[in-house]
Amino acid sequence: MISFLRVIQTGFVNFWRNIWLSAAATLVMTITLVILSTLLFIFVVAGFALNSARERVDMSIYFKVGQSEKQIFSVRDDLQKNPKVKDVSYVSPEQGLEEFKKRNENKQDILDALSQFDENPIPATLQVKAQNLEDLPAIAESLSGDQYKPMIDKINYEDNRDLIERLSQILRFIKSFGIVLIAVFSLIAVLVIFNTITLTIYNRREEIEIMRLVGATNWYIRGPFLMEALMYSVMATIITSAILIPVYSHTKPEISNYFGTTDLFASPYLTVTFLILMQLVVAIILSVISTGWSMRKSLKI
Amino acid sequence: MIRFENVTKFYGNQKALDNIDLQIDHGEFISVVGMSGAGKSTLLKLIIGEEDLDKGRILIDDIDMTKVKKVDLPYLRRKIGTVFQDIKLLPKRTAFENVAFAMEVSGHRKDKIFKDVPKILELVGLLHKRNNFPHQMSGGEKQRVAIARSLAHRPLLLLADEPTGNLDEINANEVIELLLKINELGTTVILATHAADLVNKIKRRVITIEGGKVTKEQAQGKYQL
Repeated sequence: MISFLRVIQTGFVNFWRNIWLSAAATLVMTITLVILSTLLFIFVVAGFALNSARERVDMSIYFKVGQSEKQIFSVRDDLQKNPKVKDVSYVSPEQGLEEFKKRNENKQDILDALSQFDENPIPATLQVKAQNLEDLPAIAESLSGDQYKPMIDKINYEDNRDLIERLSQILRFIKSFGIVLIAVFSLIAVLVIFNTITLTIYNRREEIEIMRLVGATNWYIRGPFLMEALMYSVMATIITSAILIPVYSHTKPEISNYFGTTDLFASPYLTVTFLILMQLVVAIILSVISTGWSMRKSLKI
Repeated sequence: MIRFENVTKFYGNQKALDNIDLQIDHGEFISVVGMSGAGKSTLLKLIIGEEDLDKGRILIDDIDMTKVKKVDLPYLRRKIGTVFQDIKLLPKRTAFENVAFAMEVSGHRKDKIFKDVPKILELVGLLHKRNNFPHQMSGGEKQRVAIARSLAHRPLLLLADEPTGNLDEINANEVIELLLKINELGTTVILATHAADLVNKIKRRVITIEGGKVTKEQAQGKYQL
């Protein structure tokens, strides 16, 4: 037990004795962790955005002003008979106005423009969700008949589809780019720590030789280096968290606002605990592998 | 306590030790002499397991060295004190700390270390220099601190590999006298050296090694090549 504590103490002391070397290793590890955490964050947010977009309505049918609800409902019934249609819901002009006001509650200029109207400018709409996005053109086609033309002002389905397509693309890009980026920086971190520990071993070679001759066990000799590796990991995690957690807390409300919901941050991957743990685990794995490799190569015991 | 049985050691293609048969008893003081490169250091290295032998076996208190696992080597080394020509003290630590170092690695408690180290330093006559650093001491004093360190575990055996190699006559004598004193207190001592005059003064058992073979053994030997 005493030996264990001595080993820990030695590693701790060595970390501070070679502070510049330790700082370099810690810095590289910190950068790697920052990239990892940021990418994870972006990935989760983008994923959420994609899901949100999918949840949204696929097609909006805008009716001309003055249509009676009975007529609109008959269109709705026709649509519901269509097997390609998953769901149809009616949004009255009044409802539409409320939702519009709510969506733009922070944008004063839009609210001002709205108050210029005497009458409600928002039309009645039918919100349609399709079984498959590919069917949207066909569904729109089904409403092109003469019985519908006088009622319907506009059918809009491109926007959401585009959005989803673009988000999927972005997500795929983030994934591949992210993996490459993380791999590259992890490699750099491993190499830097490898070099740092190799240098440390070289600097302490006299001491190590004497330790061997007076009967120190192999783990008494190796221990301090592993302790140093642990310290790089812990320090890097602390610094990364100190930088990112404030940023994260700051942007959390803004992003929630943008999506109009706080569900995003209910994801377990975005809790502070998970982030810190993940960083620590990744850092420890990288530094222990790298230290072990270095000891294997340069530590003669 | 030490027995070499048919020990042969190669370094690559070169035979460093050739069929060595040797027995050393408890409490003996042995000088192993020979020219540089004759195989003296190799002999000592084999005893502490720093090198592996190729043929034969070495028994230390009936423990077969060849059967000792690398993991257990440290425990064996704690029973054998070693002193070298290049002294090998930690330059940034005091005499006290250097001796204490040997006790720290085997997990001794701080209070025991604080009690024992002064006693050992007194034995080698350097208690008054316990807070001095190596660069503040003479060659002989440094070597005596190294000897003190080798005694930290109260070993039964002390190996000295050319301990006077870098020392002048007076300091060399100091060291040899200390070794003799330690031997009188019960520790077996094996001294490897090519310093003829020193060996002649000691007048104890001398083993001569030439070209890896034991060529002469004398109970109260003189160094003769």
